[in-house]
Amino acid sequence: MKKNVDVSIPLGPVHPCWKEPVRLKCETSGERVLRTEVELGYMKKGIERIMRGRPWQEVMFLAERVCGICSVVHNMVFIEAMEGISGIAVPPRAAYLRVIVNELDRVASHILANFSYCYTIEHETLGMYLLNVRETVLDNLERITGSRINTAYMIPGGVRFDLTEADKAALLADLVKVEADMHRYVRMFETGPLIALRSKGIGIMSRERAIEAHAVGPTARASGLPESDLRLCHPTYQKLGFTPISRTEGDNFARIMIRFQEVFQSIDLIRKCVDRLGEGDSIRGGGFCGAGEITYRGEAPRGELTYYIKSDEYGRILDIAIRTPSIMNIEACAHYMITDATSVADVTSTFISSDPCIACNER
Amino acid sequence: MSILQKIKNTVRSRSIHVAYVDVGSCNGCDIEVLACLAPRYDIEQYGIYVHNNPREADVLLVIGSMTPQWVDKLQDIWEKIPEPKVAIAIGNCPISGCVFNRWHSYIEPPVAKYIPIAAQVPGCPPRPTEILNAILALAPTLFNDYEEKKQK
Amino acid sequence: MSTSIIWYLREFLRMEWLRTFLFAKTAPLVTPPYFKDYPLPTGNECTACYNCMMICPAPGAIEVLRHTDHWKPMIHRGHCIRCGLCVEACPEDVLWSGRVLDAKRNDATDLRSWYRLTVDDTLCMRCGNCAVSCPVNKQADPSLASTGTASSDEVIMKIEGGRVRVIHEEKCTGCKTCENNCPNKAIRVARMVEGIQERGA
Repeated sequence: MKKNVDVSIPLGPVHPCWKEPVRLKCETSGERVLRTEVELGYMKKGIERIMRGRPWQEVMFLAERVCGICSVVHNMVFIEAMEGISGIAVPPRAAYLRVIVNELDRVASHILANFSYCYTIEHETLGMYLLNVRETVLDNLERITGSRINTAYMIPGGVRFDLTEADKAALLADLVKVEADMHRYVRMFETGPLIALRSKGIGIMSRERAIEAHAVGPTARASGLPESDLRLCHPTYQKLGFTPISRTEGDNFARIMIRFQEVFQSIDLIRKCVDRLGEGDSIRGGGFCGAGEITYRGEAPRGELTYYIKSDEYGRILDIAIRTPSIMNIEACAHYMITDATSVADVTSTFISSDPCIACNER
Repeated sequence: MSILQKIKNTVRSRSIHVAYVDVGSCNGCDIEVLACLAPRYDIEQYGIYVHNNPREADVLLVIGSMTPQWVDKLQDIWEKIPEPKVAIAIGNCPISGCVFNRWHSYIEPPVAKYIPIAAQVPGCPPRPTEILNAILALAPTLFNDYEEKKQK
Repeated sequence: MSTSIIWYLREFLRMEWLRTFLFAKTAPLVTPPYFKDYPLPTGNECTACYNCMMICPAPGAIEVLRHTDHWKPMIHRGHCIRCGLCVEACPEDVLWSGRVLDAKRNDATDLRSWYRLTVDDTLCMRCGNCAVSCPVNKQADPSLASTGTASSDEVIMKIEGGRVRVIHEEKCTGCKTCENNCPNKAIRVARMVEGIQERGA
């Protein structure tokens, strides 16, 4: 059999397009990329090993630092898993405040992912516009929680700070601004012919292949799998009448567009939550963490996030395992999206369009 | 001081090329460095360019808590940067290992053990303004009289 | 392709764009008042209850140090992660950071903590290091440090009948000195924290 691989091109670990160290080995034949291999292991810190034997007030901060971009959802899933173990009820106001902060974080994360894509296809203007909108979102996050990235907002039985009336008004005013700006940028992305040349029909993953690859989150929803959104199973989102959105194209363009659409959906969810804040007054219910074992799943900006936790009678973590969404998405990207790509130049943009988070992936 | 040296001092303080390398962080400091690019902070108006290419960099921003896989690679990157050069540690991780510096972790902080660190920006993560202020405060003195000092 | 150029021309000819392009000034680099910065002292007197040290999630971030006539918490930059838990846990409001202290007063929120001691009898080799090293024991029974045997029952734990007996668990301050001095890791201190709100009480 004739060997048809010309050259193996390594991309990374230090690469202008990657924000984090990861290595892609692309086997090429001419300009055509035949297959890709992902090489990981540059960021392994052993967070799960550090977590063992520690109480929740320390593990909470470690869980948050699994991933700096979607730190709120790691905090939320861990704390809700601990509440599930110990049977702690959350006051309604605290539950809505959690959703507000989680959705603000999701908006920031989606905008950052789209910024990375625009930056990778060298559309810097749109990228900078998006980064500026993200600052407005982070301002609100900071006003509510007191810090921009690692917020440490949720504790078992509630949240740490209340949303004051002044902050609520500022939040709603900023949401109007963000929504108006985002509509303009989405139109720019949607109708830009040069963007379409770099995005449409590139890195296609069909519905069958997405199921086969266990793709999750926006990557799966862009291939027509709306039921992959785990917010459907969350009680607070069920009360808000949440319905997931999906697209059917499954290419780079669809993956970016679905994040844009989810930004608007998140803004709607935040507004609904703010309306319902008056249902309660208390923000902390109290309660101690106890012994038990649970597998709890939640929807991170990148997809399904699973925590398996076993704790002892004093609320210390005996055993913990985290499955982050990027694990499946990176595999899906390497094995199904980048196979038979027409150009090496598309490898970076396709990889970034699946929103890989290496810090999540390796922990 | 020669006139040539004066010109070099002025030019160098106003054109700083930055590369950043992530040696095992939680991503928080990465995106705060990235946020410095945003029009809100606009790092480029001070003549600081983020390239992420070690071969054309003057300043290396080291982010993260130093995983063992990076021990030899970070030194390689450091050697590839042309003189004059400095490294700045961003965040708690390169300084102390932050919350990861516990029993059973795989990290080996601080980064100062492996490459010379000129300045540290503490915080988990530091705000973009703090990163920006640190680089701006260093800029005039960073490469001041580099050639004259080298001759001595 | 031509539509694209028209699109960009339209984008750059918007009044708002032109105005910002010509007259935009970057906002001054300020830190907003609601940002949780490094905790600073308010001036209240520290009673050395160590609640801040016990709740701190980062290793080596806060220490309560003794000055000539008073105690003072000290924050180590490069270790502190600015979570604000020490501000919330302090019963005397010694520290402040951003709006954490105001929020604590307005919402009447607090963090309560309990400490539980567990001794694994299969690991314990009855050396008594825990009882001797415990700082609370030293205060309750000064003779313990010199002789190694406790004379009173006011101590947290003592060796009785060849095994460690925990007597006054509620006196434990959670400092984990016993845990660090135990050669076999047989004694463990569990810190249990509860977030509560006492509104209207």
